[in-house]
Amino acid sequence: MMRFYLSTLAGHRRGVLVLLAWSALEGVPAFFGGRLVGTAVDRGFAAGDPLAGVLWLLAFAALAIAGALGQRQVFARLGHVVEPMRDALVTRIVQGVLKDPTHRRTPDASAVAMITRHVEVVRDATAGVLVQARALLVTTLAALIGLATTAAALIWLVVLPIVAALVLFGLLLPSLARRQRDAVMADERTAEATGTVLTGLRDVAACRAADEAYSDIATQVGQQARATVTVAWANALRATVIALGGFAPIVLLVAFAPPLVASGQLTTGAVLAAVVYLSNNVNPALHGLARTTSTVVMRLMVALKRLQEAAPQQTDEPGAEVPSNGEFVLTDVTFGWSPDAEPVVRGLSLDLRPGDHLAVVGPSGIGKSTMASLLTGLMPPDQGRVLFGGSPVDLVTPTIRHHAIALIPQETYLFTGTVRENLTLLAPWATDEDLTEAVHKVGAKPLLDRLGGLDAALGHAGEGVSAGEAQLLALARVYVTSAGVVILDEATSHLDPAAEARVERAFAQRDGILVVIAHRLSSALRANRVLVMDGGKPLLGTHEHLLKTSALYGQLMLAWDPTHHEETPLPNR
Amino acid sequence: MAKPGDALLFRVVRRDHRPWLLMLNAAVATTGGLLIPAALADAVDMALGGKFVLFTMLWLLGMAATEIIGDAIGIVLAASITSRATAWLRNRLSRHLLALGHPSPFAAGDAVSRVTGDCGNAGGVVVTLISLAIAAVTSVGSVVALALLDWRLAVVFVVSVPLAMFLVRTHMQLTADDVLAYQEVSGEVSARLVDAVTGKRTIAAAGIADREAGRVLQPLPKLAEAGAGMWRTQAKMMWRAGLLLPAVEVVVLVTAGFGVMAGRLSPGDVLAALGYAALGMSIVGQVPQLTALERTRASATRIAEVLDTPLPERAETATFGSGSVELRDVSVDGALHGVHLTIPAGTFAAVVGRSGAGKSTLAAVLGGLSPVDSGEVRRDGEVGYAFERPALLGATVGRSIGYGTDADEVEVRDAAVAAQVHDVLIRLPQGYETPIADAPLSGGEAQRIGLARAIVRDPQVLVLDDATASLDTVTEAKVDKALTTALPGRTRVVVTHRAATAARADLVVWLENGRVRGTGTHQELWDDEDYRSVFTGGE
Repeated sequence: MMRFYLSTLAGHRRGVLVLLAWSALEGVPAFFGGRLVGTAVDRGFAAGDPLAGVLWLLAFAALAIAGALGQRQVFARLGHVVEPMRDALVTRIVQGVLKDPTHRRTPDASAVAMITRHVEVVRDATAGVLVQARALLVTTLAALIGLATTAAALIWLVVLPIVAALVLFGLLLPSLARRQRDAVMADERTAEATGTVLTGLRDVAACRAADEAYSDIATQVGQQARATVTVAWANALRATVIALGGFAPIVLLVAFAPPLVASGQLTTGAVLAAVVYLSNNVNPALHGLARTTSTVVMRLMVALKRLQEAAPQQTDEPGAEVPSNGEFVLTDVTFGWSPDAEPVVRGLSLDLRPGDHLAVVGPSGIGKSTMASLLTGLMPPDQGRVLFGGSPVDLVTPTIRHHAIALIPQETYLFTGTVRENLTLLAPWATDEDLTEAVHKVGAKPLLDRLGGLDAALGHAGEGVSAGEAQLLALARVYVTSAGVVILDEATSHLDPAAEARVERAFAQRDGILVVIAHRLSSALRANRVLVMDGGKPLLGTHEHLLKTSALYGQLMLAWDPTHHEETPLPNR
Repeated sequence: MAKPGDALLFRVVRRDHRPWLLMLNAAVATTGGLLIPAALADAVDMALGGKFVLFTMLWLLGMAATEIIGDAIGIVLAASITSRATAWLRNRLSRHLLALGHPSPFAAGDAVSRVTGDCGNAGGVVVTLISLAIAAVTSVGSVVALALLDWRLAVVFVVSVPLAMFLVRTHMQLTADDVLAYQEVSGEVSARLVDAVTGKRTIAAAGIADREAGRVLQPLPKLAEAGAGMWRTQAKMMWRAGLLLPAVEVVVLVTAGFGVMAGRLSPGDVLAALGYAALGMSIVGQVPQLTALERTRASATRIAEVLDTPLPERAETATFGSGSVELRDVSVDGALHGVHLTIPAGTFAAVVGRSGAGKSTLAAVLGGLSPVDSGEVRRDGEVGYAFERPALLGATVGRSIGYGTDADEVEVRDAAVAAQVHDVLIRLPQGYETPIADAPLSGGEAQRIGLARAIVRDPQVLVLDDATASLDTVTEAKVDKALTTALPGRTRVVVTHRAATAARADLVVWLENGRVRGTGTHQELWDDEDYRSVFTGGE
């Protein structure tokens, strides 16, 4: 992420260069300022020529105006560097988050809030560094050159303490950085502990655990307070070093000047100029640098590191194979989350042809969703083959694969926009008639009417739409596509049994392959084949066949509902 | 205008002696700082005189040392005061929020921002006040010092200050608008990202990550525009502020120059005048501190708002009872109306009804989790809860089961076994010691941990609020059996959507629109078409 950040900044080299050019103008008062004040006194007021004195000071004022103008331009131009950098960073992170294939690590609302916060830190810190580090560079250089031209004899007395202070400061930096990072972490842990307890107040009350909850928060609060003080000690040391580095040259200058003045090597103007350079230009710039480096740069690094963790860079090679038909052939497929873990799918062989309707049933947590990921090519199997139209499905040209195979997961994706925009997400070509028909087929017509038609607007986070209603919209969205394979991965979990039945029938009547990863066992009764996953070798067959041959299947059916003859619609195909 | 938070801030200031120490330290350091320009002027005059005077140099060094050491002490003292005050506020606030219990009058996110954000702001009150005082003293001191050099310098300087204040104020108003616009757009991008992240599997399966990233990033140009606006305003401000100091400096320098000519001032005094002009301007830079003070007061008011919310009255639970629960004419505003209900000890009761019928509210008042508005709840014994979506608390997975109890490892393990989740937990990266945040738990696994948490407390009454909804029916039946074994003879109240569960219950409580529509066994109620439609969805 650091490299990306730097390369983004380098990409705006022009902006940075323009910024530096204006900085040169900003440095003009620092270069001439001390000398002009010195001359005004030396040749003007002290020499009894007030007009000359005033004129020299007016020149000082004119340069100050030029400097302020330069500063104005620097700030106005800052946006040209910082804002595009932020845009690039946000773009990179959003793409990283959305392309991250590991579904188990999905950021939630608070993680997104953290991302936003860190991006803002990077933005502010970049601006801060550009302003301060640049100011230090320009001002110090200008002032030192100015100093060298007026009081060359004393230049080493000035340069050495400054360099010494900067070196010492550099040596202190790592420990300062470490403490700063600890403080940031302590801050995050406090927010986390508070967040966990306060979002779980119901559970705290149910556990009568107010005391433990309080002590969890208080522990983090206490650690955070201590970390803050630790940082302050480091900061105090840093401030002292910088203050010494800034003040020592002035003291040395004054202490060593008398003999030089007495011998005529230094004029009054030169001494005045030197002190003005040091106290008005170099000293403030040094303090600015110390402030920036210790707080801003540290925050910048921490933020970039956090963003890196939130959105790892993905590199994937898209496949280019073209399937010859719309059939699935699975041969001896085995898949596990890690080489040590018990495989989720073991030795599965299965053919799926258009018209097939497969239900996948089994206990929770057994990995039924893995089937969906294998069939959609999101994950390749560890052993065996998943062929779609004769080609390994994960190597099929992405556009072909995405159009041919549609997955509806349990958690629905709705975004802010009109209902029409949401429904045409996967089929941008669909007409209003297509959409209305799809909505009708999945039983979402009353919902569409309630929302106010296709032009109705949806808010964030499916606001005003229940979880079940959101699922209906997601189902209609896929119904309207031309996908030949539809996989419902508990996509009807928030619907009541009757609505679920209607949806499954609608998809079954559509041409192609339907795979239902079942939330309720009634889904198995409607399918023409059932795949039972129970951790061991998968069982495959019709409902009747499995009832006769599989004890587990019988147990599943019995546990599901001992009175199912009375309330369950019998399989209709 | 006194705000409700001011009294709280006053208490923060008065809490201990440290603020006085900081003030004393600031007084010494500021005095040193104020004497430096004069000491420097003397030293320069000494140098210009071509003669080294030890006392002059020592005086300059002494003042500089006073300021530098004072500043260093000040940094540590200020951090210590702020962090202590913040911690004190955070602890008080979280204790009160916990005491307010469930349901909390403050939304979770809001409460968190009060604890993390507002307490941090309010904790800075001492340092903000002292910074303002230092700036004021420095400015006044500088004017006095200028007057001591030459009264004309002081007059010239004082005239320029109001102008400075005016210029800086216009800036503050402009920025507030830009900042608001920027934050709004930034919030919009975040909200879009949250939506997209929720639908990540859909996006991945459809291969539309790039397109959806574009959708999330759509408001970005507006963000850049608002950002550029902020920089432009900043630039204007810098331009004015950048002109301000030199303008004042030039005026002071010209005045000082004439002073030199008239013999009132030495060349070194010109530097002193320049130094005091810069010091005197320090009050101008305090506008952010004034804003900080206002923010501090606003934050303190938000904290006081919570602390001033009276705690609800909660009845004490009788312990070691038989486990019966009785509700008499219980109403909860908007959820339950005049509910009469008796659940005898040892009964397995199922609560059924459509969504919004008041099932969860009934479950909550049964065990005293939330208060009732009218009526009476009598329960004889401790109540344990398990929920559909439990919030897992505590540092580790193991601790989340024993949360709020002193259960040892064995008890935690037994509870996990009974809840059918032990096999899952031992396969986690660090087993029971896995931090909650690092444990990849599904909804069903979290539910079973929540169940284990209820089992470990060994309550007389167990309330399961849809606590097995994510489990498939086989696992649910196993859990059910294990519960009967682990907690024999306990009263069990189960909120459920499943007919199979209702069929196993001794007593079914059928709720409709916050009222009890019927009680009896599943078989008795099954004849009613309305009852059947609760499970079939009415079609």
